[in-house]
Amino acid sequence: MFDWKLALEAIGMIIYATFMGFIFMGIERKAMARIQRRVGPPIYQPILDTLKLLGKKESISHGFIYDFGPVFALGASIAALLFIPIANFQLFSSNADLIVVAYLLEVPMLGIMLGAMSSGNPYSAVGVQRGLLTMVAMQLPYGLALIALIQHWGTFKLSNIVALQGIHGWSITVPALLLAFIVFDIVFQAMLGLEPFDIITAPAEISMGPMVEYGGKHAALLFTQHAVQLFAETAFFAVLFLGGASNLLELLVKQIAVLFIAIFVASIYPRFTIDQAAKFFWKWPTILGIIAVILTMGW
Amino acid sequence: MNELMIMLFAPLVAGFIAWALDIRGIREIVGILGAAVPLGILAKYYSTIAGSNPETVTHTITIGGFKLLFQLNTITWYFAAVASLVGVAMAFGMASTSRSSYEWLFALMSYTGVLGVFLSGDFVGFFLFWELMTFASFMMVLKRNRHESLKYFVLSVIGAYAMLIAIGILYAKTGALDFGTIRQALYMDAMLGSISKSLTALVFLLFLTAFGVKAGAVPLHVWAPGAYSEVDQSYTTFFSGALSKAGAYGFLLLYILMGTKLYTALGVWHNHMVFSYIIAWLGAITVVVAGFLAVLQEDIRKLFAYSSVSQVGYILLGLGLGTTLGFAGALFHVLSHAVFKGLFWLVVAALILRTGKTKFEDFGGLAEKMPITFAMALIAVLSLAGIPPMAGFASKWLLYEAAISAHMPLVAGAIFLGSGLAFAYVVRFLYAVWFGQRPSDLDDVEEAPLPLLIGMAILAIPNLVFGIAPGLVTEYLGKFLGNPVGGDYFKLVTPTGTYNALLVTVILTLGLAIAGLIFIYGAKARKVPVTDTYQSGNPVTEDYNLSMRRNFYRPLAEALDFWLKYSWDRFYERLAGMFEDFADSLREGFYNGNVQSYAWYLAVVLLILALWGVL
Repeated sequence: MFDWKLALEAIGMIIYATFMGFIFMGIERKAMARIQRRVGPPIYQPILDTLKLLGKKESISHGFIYDFGPVFALGASIAALLFIPIANFQLFSSNADLIVVAYLLEVPMLGIMLGAMSSGNPYSAVGVQRGLLTMVAMQLPYGLALIALIQHWGTFKLSNIVALQGIHGWSITVPALLLAFIVFDIVFQAMLGLEPFDIITAPAEISMGPMVEYGGKHAALLFTQHAVQLFAETAFFAVLFLGGASNLLELLVKQIAVLFIAIFVASIYPRFTIDQAAKFFWKWPTILGIIAVILTMGW
Repeated sequence: MNELMIMLFAPLVAGFIAWALDIRGIREIVGILGAAVPLGILAKYYSTIAGSNPETVTHTITIGGFKLLFQLNTITWYFAAVASLVGVAMAFGMASTSRSSYEWLFALMSYTGVLGVFLSGDFVGFFLFWELMTFASFMMVLKRNRHESLKYFVLSVIGAYAMLIAIGILYAKTGALDFGTIRQALYMDAMLGSISKSLTALVFLLFLTAFGVKAGAVPLHVWAPGAYSEVDQSYTTFFSGALSKAGAYGFLLLYILMGTKLYTALGVWHNHMVFSYIIAWLGAITVVVAGFLAVLQEDIRKLFAYSSVSQVGYILLGLGLGTTLGFAGALFHVLSHAVFKGLFWLVVAALILRTGKTKFEDFGGLAEKMPITFAMALIAVLSLAGIPPMAGFASKWLLYEAAISAHMPLVAGAIFLGSGLAFAYVVRFLYAVWFGQRPSDLDDVEEAPLPLLIGMAILAIPNLVFGIAPGLVTEYLGKFLGNPVGGDYFKLVTPTGTYNALLVTVILTLGLAIAGLIFIYGAKARKVPVTDTYQSGNPVTEDYNLSMRRNFYRPLAEALDFWLKYSWDRFYERLAGMFEDFADSLREGFYNGNVQSYAWYLAVVLLILALWGVL
């Protein structure tokens, strides 16, 4: 009864995703450096960082929830990852559809916020507030982009969306979904926490916001969580709009393409303030989203 | 005595006994027993209602020349079961928080009222119990705050009499008061069309007002924040958990009784039935507006009051979709909203009981002092925010699926925005109450008393059980909705999507285990106090306030500046003021104490009569 093949695939995928997630983080740093005419760190630098953090002799804790927050965040990221069909690995994707995955991708945020809040640090509090407001702001265009996609393909199942794209061409080749793609890409910038929407961590303003109190193994957990989340989100993007992939290499190319767009945008835009971000999200992306949705309705 | 009648009146009788005896200790026991009776009887009838060959249990009594029909069928059992589950939790909560027998009397009276509304098979009983429910809940609010209670009362009266007019019109046209006959007559009339379009629209509008007030649909929600906060918070468990569902039930009844007639009379707009489209948008607007207002509240009770309004909006939205999948989502949300919001109110009751405070700025760091209550609050938070293995997620998932499958994308967009807002306000609650620095006057706070904790557990368990096994609910709902949702106990399958709750739980646990292993592998953590923290490298002492307790979402308020200038609350207050002034001017103008003007009135009347040709 127990499906060993599936279990091995899942474990393999978790390891691969964590590793590639770290590499993506490295690529991000490297590309940013090259854009600013620096050499930058080696591409495997985030792995070294995380190992160093794990090797710290002591870390501090503000209580049970403070510890639980990062654990919960990483756990939820792993869960989200396992419900996305990744390249030719279907994993558990037949058991949960797009809405479940979209929610699971947001749960880590709650974990981080929980932990950050329980530290009682005012910078964390400001970070949490900004994080939630960003989420509220981006939720409407994000929802509209997803709705347009679901309406067009007529299914919530991620594997079906991939299969349909295999037959009818990628989502972005459909004019209405191209609009949805643009909206999703703008929201994606906020999902990844990159400029101009890196309001949550905002290193120069609020000293990393929610993460300000975390050090040692907690920070290592959060780094790992970020890596898994980065991989899951880029894969999710590729599945929704770029036709998924038939093997890991093809997926990797698409993931890196998505990542590079994000990096290029991030490296030339300064940060929004939180109220500007809210107003921005409720203006152009929302309007584009509504147009996309109406176009997919077919009248 | 029939069991249906025992079930219906047990809470009321228990309430009277508790009120008459008024001995501390006994009134609590009587109250809890009275509240538990309906749940017991409903459990006994489960096999009859939901068995292999379901039967409808009916009972008729004659009062004042009217035949009152009570019926227990698949739909009414569901609503009654939700109400009595919340009712029992309320009774346990009140055993800890109520200060007087007055509250027991009216709380249990409204319990009877709600059960009566759900069980009635005709408009006479429906309206009587509707009024009983309104009156009892009004008396609960009146005890604490006169202004808010009157606001609630006036709006409820407007709703109730709108309903009475609508019932009157239906009676005039069909000659019947029981649901079965009315349903049949209106179904026939959908073909014949003897009731005109405008009259049907009027009846629809009147019912919309009546049920909209109880459900708290924008713009008729203004009573909710005041009324939900100005009562014993254990009672609010029932008030928002069950009593507001009477409105949702009313909308369902609207479909059952007049669905076909409304469909033919009001027509179709872009493949949506116009009348249900209106309900859906009413729900969507309620979700968003109340969600934004909840985010901006500074008082714990107000926050949850607006949140209740917003969540009931989801139910209306689901009902408005007009598909069986939409009904399944909405009815599931009836249950999950009752259990998570009931739990929230019990937590609030515990907080108010133990601290006596309601403003966010007075709280902080209570997680260490009230760990069990905090755990319960966390369950409620996860369920409301829609975190996967919780009941709140399963119902919301169904609503998403239903809204998009029904081709109402913009309405579905409102759900997305609404759940983002829900996330924001529950986190605000978590932060302000449970985390951060504890004000020194909260240092001797104790854990909530046992009865209150039992009440919380009664509501927390369904959150988990129906979250992991949502199929239990959808299968039951499928009995009268024609199985829109497939799958088994743990798995929901719609034509377009799947959600395997058990597997999601397992995978999430697995993920947590992996993360936990990394955590355990790392070096041991040293526990430090809240004040040992980063403050730009400055030392911090106890007398710094490190927590953001006030205006947490100030930037949002600024971004919404334009919209917040308009308020329905102020509009109604102004309207009420205008009516008062008008009444004053009438009184002063006509009853002016001048004998000659009274003589003139007589002359004018005589003149009219003369012109009319009577004289």
